[in-house]
Amino acid sequence: MNENTKFQFAFLLFLAASWYLISPAAANLVLNRVDRRVDLTSQIVRIASSLKVENAGTDDVSEILFSLSTEQAEKVAFLQAVLVEGKSKSKSKSSAVILTVTSGSSDGRVMLFSVALPKPLKGGDSLSLETYVVLTHVLKPFPEEIGQSDAQLVLFHESAYFLSPYPVKVQSTTFKLPSSRVESYSKVGVTKLVDSEVRYGPYENVEALATAPITLHFENNQPFAVVEELVREIEISHWGNIYVTENYKLSHGGARHKGSFSRFDYQSRPAQSGAASFRHLLARLPPHAHSVYYRDEIGNISTSHLRSDFKKTELELEPRYPLFGGWKVTFTLGYSVPLEDFMYKSSDGRRFLNITFGSSFGHVVVDNLIVKVVLPEGSTQPTISVPFAVEQDKEIKHTYLDTVGRPVVVLTKKNAVPEHHNIFFQVYYRFNSIAMLAEPLLLVTGFFAFFVLCIAYVHFDFPISKSSASFQAQVQREELVDLVQRLQKVMGIRGEAADRLEASLRDVARSGDTAQCKVARKTADATWKETSKDLKALSESFHLSARSSFVLPKVEVLLQKEKEMVEKLQQKQVATVEAYERKLSSKDIDARIAPLQSKYSTLKQEVRDLIYALDD
Amino acid sequence: MQAQEVVVTAIGSPIPHTLYPFLAVLLLIVGLVLTAAFFIYEATTSKFSRSLSREFATGGVASLFLGFGTLFLLLWTGVYV
Repeated sequence: MNENTKFQFAFLLFLAASWYLISPAAANLVLNRVDRRVDLTSQIVRIASSLKVENAGTDDVSEILFSLSTEQAEKVAFLQAVLVEGKSKSKSKSSAVILTVTSGSSDGRVMLFSVALPKPLKGGDSLSLETYVVLTHVLKPFPEEIGQSDAQLVLFHESAYFLSPYPVKVQSTTFKLPSSRVESYSKVGVTKLVDSEVRYGPYENVEALATAPITLHFENNQPFAVVEELVREIEISHWGNIYVTENYKLSHGGARHKGSFSRFDYQSRPAQSGAASFRHLLARLPPHAHSVYYRDEIGNISTSHLRSDFKKTELELEPRYPLFGGWKVTFTLGYSVPLEDFMYKSSDGRRFLNITFGSSFGHVVVDNLIVKVVLPEGSTQPTISVPFAVEQDKEIKHTYLDTVGRPVVVLTKKNAVPEHHNIFFQVYYRFNSIAMLAEPLLLVTGFFAFFVLCIAYVHFDFPISKSSASFQAQVQREELVDLVQRLQKVMGIRGEAADRLEASLRDVARSGDTAQCKVARKTADATWKETSKDLKALSESFHLSARSSFVLPKVEVLLQKEKEMVEKLQQKQVATVEAYERKLSSKDIDARIAPLQSKYSTLKQEVRDLIYALDD
Repeated sequence: MQAQEVVVTAIGSPIPHTLYPFLAVLLLIVGLVLTAAFFIYEATTSKFSRSLSREFATGGVASLFLGFGTLFLLLWTGVYV
């Protein structure tokens, strides 16, 4: 032991002593047995320790401390402590989670975490506790740069002793490595390398906060897929859909690539070439995911395969190039899921989204995970329920058919690992269904504005001068057109009356009943009388109108012919009724009516032609 | 414990999404026919005999149909607003 470590050791003892003073119960705890299993098979280090804690004192203990070195504490992604009740394998676990960081380490060596127990541990009693620590970016590639054909070797620094603020009676540690190729490992007491496992211990009676630094140097060719930044946007539409968009900045966090890259070697000898690189990733999407896309700035990336069944949807995607150490790629992955799979209404009237937090990829580390939940326009009071610490922020987003913008809840999580990815989180908010009508009403308003513009355009005049000759001419022409249209309308009414009377005359010819015909005649006469006033007024207007000279003859002829037509029809009616009342033979009736009928028909045709002629 | 349990129900779209194509086509056809009627009226009647209320009524009803028709068209094509 050199001078420095001695000093540190003394300091740690002092630290332990000071903790003894702060919480007297703490020092009475003894760890009877510690089994630690360190999983080094991927880029993520997972340390699972099972602790048998005994209260050697007499006072009750309500919290248990455990510690990590500061270097490790900075890299902690996930931390969990589980109280194991009962000794049977069927563990009824009650999660006694987590832990506030106490500032117990003034020299920056040890960070203490405390676990609050659900019920105090009495003197003499013992309990079983399992701690689970996930660390990222602690496997250091060595050498730092490798060529295409080299395997990736990494270094891992740890202590052979379990770092604990309490003395440990018996302990052992197992490091599980991805392969049996181990360059070197430190030996501390009993150390064994069995297949792909390095075992340290058992060690007996180790002091509190004692360390025995060890270094493992081994091969790890697992994909070191590190997402530097993932922006995950979840957009809710109450019309029945949730859009999920994931923007990835993916990099290979392992040993940097050295020298040139040979695509030929990579393709032809996949076993020896680029062992540490990776070329595809597997995303697990929710069941019923549809409209999946995978693209980047250039456009669609076609190297992806989608498989789906009723339980899950799997997307295997290949970036545009295989990723070697230090290489980066950005891409966007997006999909839609039905609203009813993730949206619920709680009994207090609030709605909530219940969806997974993290990346769709199973084995990536996300350095900076930003989850944006875009709530529908008009939702209020968003509250978030996430089972771990996140930063919260708010934004406003404008997208299709928005007026005031949609409230966005922004959650930021640093250093997210797969343990976070599958955790469901909830966003509660209040939303009135009426607000869904905002978008269609916006569209309706848009269309209506268009119609109003059209109405305004045809109603207003846009001449430069109101007294100009062309404008005057236009006004006069419009007046004339209006007169003609009115005349046509009146003619139409009169024509209809005539048609009805004619029809009743045909009825007389069939049935011989003249009474109905007389009634029809009366109504027709009334109509003609009424409209004749209008005709007179219109005819006067035609005479007054300045530009009517070329239509005036036509109008006059029309009026005259129409009058004749009506008279002929009246004569025909009189003749018919008379004939039937006198019960003449059908031959006589035909003889009487035929000339009137032919004259009437020609007049009717002429009138019709004249009315059409007016359109010109 | 049972009484305290929070009752949650899944929320979906108020209108089944299988109806979106039908609604889009129906509403847009009605809307376009009304639009056509509006413009025919505008073009054929003279300036002095036009009725402003009739214009607004036709335009209003047409825009109502067109607006909702466009919404369902958007939803049908996958643009969930």
